[in-house]
Amino acid sequence: MMKPKIAIFSLTGCEGCSLAILELEDQLLDILQVVEIVNFREGMTERGWDIDIGFVDGAISTPEDKREVEELRKHSRVLVAIGACACLGGINTLKNHQPASEYRAYVYGDKAEWFPTMDAQPISAVVKVDYELPGCPMVKEEFLRFVKCMLTERPFRATANAVCVECKKKGVLCLYEKGIICLGPVTRGGCDAICPAYGSKCEGCRGVVSDEALAAAGVNLREQYDVPLDRVLADMRFHGAYQEKSLP
Amino acid sequence: MADRIIRHSDLMKLVDEVARKRRIIGPVARSVPECEPPVRYFYEDVERADQLDLSFRYCVYSPKRFLTPPSETLFAFDQDDGGFVAAPQYDRRPTALVGVHPCDIHAIRLYDRVFDLEHRDEHYFARRGATMIIGMDCPGPCTDGVFCKDMGANVAEAGFDAMLYPLGTDTDGDEMRYAVMFGTKAGREWLLYSRQSAAPNADDERAFEKYQADKEAAFSFALRTRREDLAELLGRSYDSLLWDATARRCYSCGSCNLSCPTCYCFDITDETDLASGSGRRWREWDGCHLPEFALVAGDHNFRPKAASRLRHRIYRKAVWIQERSGVVGCVGCARCDRACTAKINSVEIYNQLAEEA
Repeated sequence: MMKPKIAIFSLTGCEGCSLAILELEDQLLDILQVVEIVNFREGMTERGWDIDIGFVDGAISTPEDKREVEELRKHSRVLVAIGACACLGGINTLKNHQPASEYRAYVYGDKAEWFPTMDAQPISAVVKVDYELPGCPMVKEEFLRFVKCMLTERPFRATANAVCVECKKKGVLCLYEKGIICLGPVTRGGCDAICPAYGSKCEGCRGVVSDEALAAAGVNLREQYDVPLDRVLADMRFHGAYQEKSLP
Repeated sequence: MADRIIRHSDLMKLVDEVARKRRIIGPVARSVPECEPPVRYFYEDVERADQLDLSFRYCVYSPKRFLTPPSETLFAFDQDDGGFVAAPQYDRRPTALVGVHPCDIHAIRLYDRVFDLEHRDEHYFARRGATMIIGMDCPGPCTDGVFCKDMGANVAEAGFDAMLYPLGTDTDGDEMRYAVMFGTKAGREWLLYSRQSAAPNADDERAFEKYQADKEAAFSFALRTRREDLAELLGRSYDSLLWDATARRCYSCGSCNLSCPTCYCFDITDETDLASGSGRRWREWDGCHLPEFALVAGDHNFRPKAASRLRHRIYRKAVWIQERSGVVGCVGCARCDRACTAKINSVEIYNQLAEEA
């Protein structure tokens, strides 16, 4: 069997998701036996453009990102968005809620005109995306599971379950019991509930799990909890999970 | 009549004796300053009896994870000289569950039944066969909202090796004294042949009788419908508007299922290793409130809406599990109700349906 050719690209983001691949230290040699990495800025200098599976982290935040992802799509038989920025827009979308003149001034100062920028978007807003591996950062175990599925030609399915499932499996005390509004019930799981397990509320980095759950959040937070909805919406916007100004 | 009487300190010595041969799992207090009271109890592995807190009211999660873990490997597979070999994995570590309340004992009895229906689940019974159960009776409701008396699960007459009844503190000290009932030969041997416990005297018997009477008075019914009549009630309620009205709050997060001591559904996955032809088949907890629980080939979902899933769970708990297994499917511990961040409450559901009917 020919080894599938893999490439890993980064748009606007911290490249932490690319780094998560290098953090698969115990499996990295096994991975390299079964795939050929042809293009990976974070990990090597060579550049190849015949790509079976292209992974992209980072959001579309500049016109250059847009051009680049369109180019990557042309070269990749399968295109995979990895991480919250590529899947949701990520924390880059915080700028979408501020006037462009303001954030451009405080980020680029008097050089703002040198750096064209645009509303941050997930890469699926620009090109067809075949798979998404969300999270901030991407869950490296999920990446590994995805690679295994591709190698054995088995279907890959992201979980349709909320983060709560993983809290219950780990036996974590629900943060609601401590009076904390956690985004776990509306957020797609697969992260092993790492934030709640360490006592931190879920920030929704893997995106909204379903429209049904989101609608339930709107009802419950209004009817069952006396919480300022603006704060909850700000939390849901943090990783770009939800962009609207009110809950359904 | 009680079988034995034992003091707390002697019980602790006996548990330490067990700990030499078995893994001990029991209630452990965890400080949670944000909660009132600022402590929560969890079943955890302990090395010594003094790490347990047998004065616990309830444990947040049931001990089910120690009998059917959140995820477990069923078998590992490999290719050997072109042939396929699969090696099942069983966990037969000698274990003792200490401090199991009657509700959770009823739930384990349900597992003993359902995991033996049609196909005997050897992975469950490997653990179960290696597990000793030392129960802890409840002198009263452990917390608000429980409906164990309604489900007939606030007392347990079987399903344990030994059951402890906290009679109260000693007359000559401040040490807890327990009456003990044997459930099995193993439980009997554990206590009878040790010098730590004593035969009950006339005072002990009176104390045990008073304990039973006080307990009877301490529990009250929460449901407007008797357990025997729930099947008839739900039989009339399939098309109730309540399901939609309640499920608009449901996140479908499955917390009710996964914190339920009687939920036993699981999902199976095959996973291969990266390089070789080896891999494993494993299972993990599943739940009928989860959106893809009833998803089948062709992407058809038999219960695509939260309302149909909510109704399904309530029917399972109140009627269907019992119809199938002969054991009532809910023990009234109310863990589902406490776990629900949408505050969907099963007692309210039953009582609203009773009001409608």
